[in-house]
Amino acid sequence: MVVLLPYLYTGGVHKHGLLIELMEDLGGYIIQKVVTGIEVNLIMLIPEKDIDLVKKLSAELLGVLLEAPLTGVEIAVVSPTLASHHLPHSACDIAEYLRHPGANTNMIGLARGMGRRVSLSMDYERKLINEHDIAVFTFGSFSDCITKKKPKLFEGIEIPIVVTGGPVELKTEDVPGADLYIGNIGRVSHRLRRTEEINALDNLNEGVSKIASEIRQQQAKDPLAVLPARVMKEIENQVPEIHRVLSPAPLTLQLNGIRVKLPYDEFHEKIEKLEFDEGVILSELANISRSKMKNYILIKIKSKSDVGFAI
Amino acid sequence: MESLETFVVEAAIESEQEFYRKIIEDNLASLKLAPAIGRIKVVLRPEDSLFQMAIILRDVGTRVTTIDIADVEAKPLASEVMISIKKEQYIPELLGKLWERYGKANISQPDRWTVAITTDKPAEEAAFLKEMMVADPRHRLHENLVDFAIRATPEGFRVRYHLYKGNRFVFVASEEALKQEWIEEAGVMLKELTEGGKN
Repeated sequence: MVVLLPYLYTGGVHKHGLLIELMEDLGGYIIQKVVTGIEVNLIMLIPEKDIDLVKKLSAELLGVLLEAPLTGVEIAVVSPTLASHHLPHSACDIAEYLRHPGANTNMIGLARGMGRRVSLSMDYERKLINEHDIAVFTFGSFSDCITKKKPKLFEGIEIPIVVTGGPVELKTEDVPGADLYIGNIGRVSHRLRRTEEINALDNLNEGVSKIASEIRQQQAKDPLAVLPARVMKEIENQVPEIHRVLSPAPLTLQLNGIRVKLPYDEFHEKIEKLEFDEGVILSELANISRSKMKNYILIKIKSKSDVGFAI
Repeated sequence: MESLETFVVEAAIESEQEFYRKIIEDNLASLKLAPAIGRIKVVLRPEDSLFQMAIILRDVGTRVTTIDIADVEAKPLASEVMISIKKEQYIPELLGKLWERYGKANISQPDRWTVAITTDKPAEEAAFLKEMMVADPRHRLHENLVDFAIRATPEGFRVRYHLYKGNRFVFVASEEALKQEWIEEAGVMLKELTEGGKN
């Protein structure tokens, strides 16, 4: 099986089509293309053995090619509520910073997540969070709250949990239920831009990337029946309506699936009957369900051991 | 009293104290409240879900009347009152009051410094307008103070007590039902602030 590595290309719009063509020739995938003015950002999955070719071309085009370890990871940034106490700083800053290494982030504000004794999450919210790959909970500045009161919000969350908070001296094991704790990102009312704040955000990106690579390693032991990126490409080819969707990422890759931003009732049959060259259809390889997010379609790909074969 | 001559934040853990000091500074800055506050003391007790704040305000100026911000001139022949603005910052409030009294159709603004009002009784109206109150900074200050208190408090502390009297402001917030002693403690904080100043 080809090993694909995630990279982010940043460069001028001029001749960037060459890069897209090269990617088609090599069998890589363009995950997302963002054109801003005369600059273009391409998030791609490149076959490992052909990296040098792509590096050479991007140097010729005077662009920059960077590793983007969070490509194809959908992260939920969960803030206790959507009140001005948490937004736009620090929750938006965290979500924005996680996008630098290629992640797709969704911000989720709980309806009743604020407070100590009174905070709680609803079943619907927990299911929505569980649709993602990793959840980042953004908490406040009191260590008492972070260690004793807030962890009840983790109940029913099955995906890895990353917690951000103010106190620096707290350790991951002090926060029950968390897989990683990052300090120095507590409640702030200004944009995170001081050295120690940016350092904390860098730590967060590093920690989240590590968790993502652990999930990938676990997955490698029993690989998925089909690569999410391949499903993405087939949907682009077989469901032309996806090109008219205005969301920033109409097809959002996850580590074990893909979110299709088309209405479920109208399109789920089309997605289920998606055909691959090998003669199988998508519903044999994946569970296709209604997403808790709006009325989208959620595809969760089964593993090779479930299906019996992989393509 | 200097602005922010006393600025105390107290919490059991020193780092948390610094976080809240920064949050309060940021919120004061974004609401442009810092010049209005003389002394402020905040006590945080997360284990009791308690936030207490006492503020002594500086003199924030008195009511603003039209004559303070503009020249008012009656023009009986043209059936008009001319207002020549001197201080632009109160124009929105002034126009609001004028629209309410005369209707938008009767008011014109030939340029940014001039407002012309068409009326049957220019002399009487001019005399009235000179004494009309345009803005009350204290009212706006009260709104901003309450907004500031809510922004600075941890979000879950929804049970609130506030007192605004003269130049004194007390705010207590918690997640639980407020205890009388917490409000009294905030009163003591206020007293300390009043006595502890340099004046």
